[in-house]
Amino acid sequence: MLRRVLAWIVAIVAGLVLGGASAWAALTLGVSSFSSHYGAWSLNRAAGSTAAGPYTRAIIARYGLLALSSREALYFNLDHDEHGQPLSESCIYDLTGNAIATRWWSVTLYANDSYLARNDDHAASVDATRINAGDDGIWRARISSVQGDSVNWLSSRNARRGFSLTLRVYNPQRDFAPSEDSLPKLATVSCASSS
Amino acid sequence: MNGWGKYVVLALIVAVATHIVVIFGTPTVLMNVALQRLGGGHYNAWHLGERVTQASRTIVRPAPDFAYSACPYDLSNGPVRIHVTPWTDYWSLSLYANNSDNFFVLDDREAQNGVEVLVMSAGAAPPDHETATIVHSPSQRGIALIRRLAPTPDTYAAAAQVSHADVCSGAH
Repeated sequence: MLRRVLAWIVAIVAGLVLGGASAWAALTLGVSSFSSHYGAWSLNRAAGSTAAGPYTRAIIARYGLLALSSREALYFNLDHDEHGQPLSESCIYDLTGNAIATRWWSVTLYANDSYLARNDDHAASVDATRINAGDDGIWRARISSVQGDSVNWLSSRNARRGFSLTLRVYNPQRDFAPSEDSLPKLATVSCASSS
Repeated sequence: MNGWGKYVVLALIVAVATHIVVIFGTPTVLMNVALQRLGGGHYNAWHLGERVTQASRTIVRPAPDFAYSACPYDLSNGPVRIHVTPWTDYWSLSLYANNSDNFFVLDDREAQNGVEVLVMSAGAAPPDHETATIVHSPSQRGIALIRRLAPTPDTYAAAAQVSHADVCSGAH
């Protein structure tokens, strides 16, 4: 009798573990599969939408709660370099872009816990109102743990390994068409030997 | 069903049920956490967030370029009236249901001089002669959020000043 009761309990516990693990996997590993990809950037147009399915809604709630619907803003994420490696504090990157066909844009650096990196550099983002672009309209931002001589700087100090960038595009113009060419490009400048 | 089969079937049923509960419940649970964090358990009043810094841990992926004001609303005692004071740069008012859906958004392109919104329960009839924009919320509780573009300390301070004239209160 006791053995039978134990077997039912084990079955229930196993089901809870399996169900919880599969849900966790869907929310963690499924982020990519619910997105459109433009080069290294990924976009989930269902963010905030009332038409979002249960998986998309759960993923957005976990990684972008209180996001605006795509009618108002688009959120692009980038979390690996041109070699497919996770972004790392021990590397230096250049992010280069042209003017984006939108009313306002910004690029923000988040540590792998989805909050701003724990540093007091006040360089967590660059945006359309403050970026210094060249005469040709091309801008370049340095992503590194120290500013050096860079004019546009995103500080990765204390962001460790696995940080990400979010490109916010507010009130995109009708002719804004995201593509690998129209979005900023990330290039690795160098990495410390320990990475 | 003999042997271990019935136990395997039970485990699978529990697994599927758990999976569904977690997937469907995650947005509501996280929204309830946000309601508590943003309003401290208080409803129908604006709460101006401090300028986003490394110490901001209320909502994931906060944008440091915005001044945020949040009003967790509760319609159980009737409609909630929202007034947004205009801002010199981009601003928007967005409303979120308790399952995280962004069911309403309006920005300064559509309301240069600010806006007054009456948030009502789904299906509730609007009052006669009401001039405010009527918005029906799919849930009794939710979050209203104002974003004002303010990427520098000076613009944040100015936005914070403007936000004092915002209203979020029971309409009765």
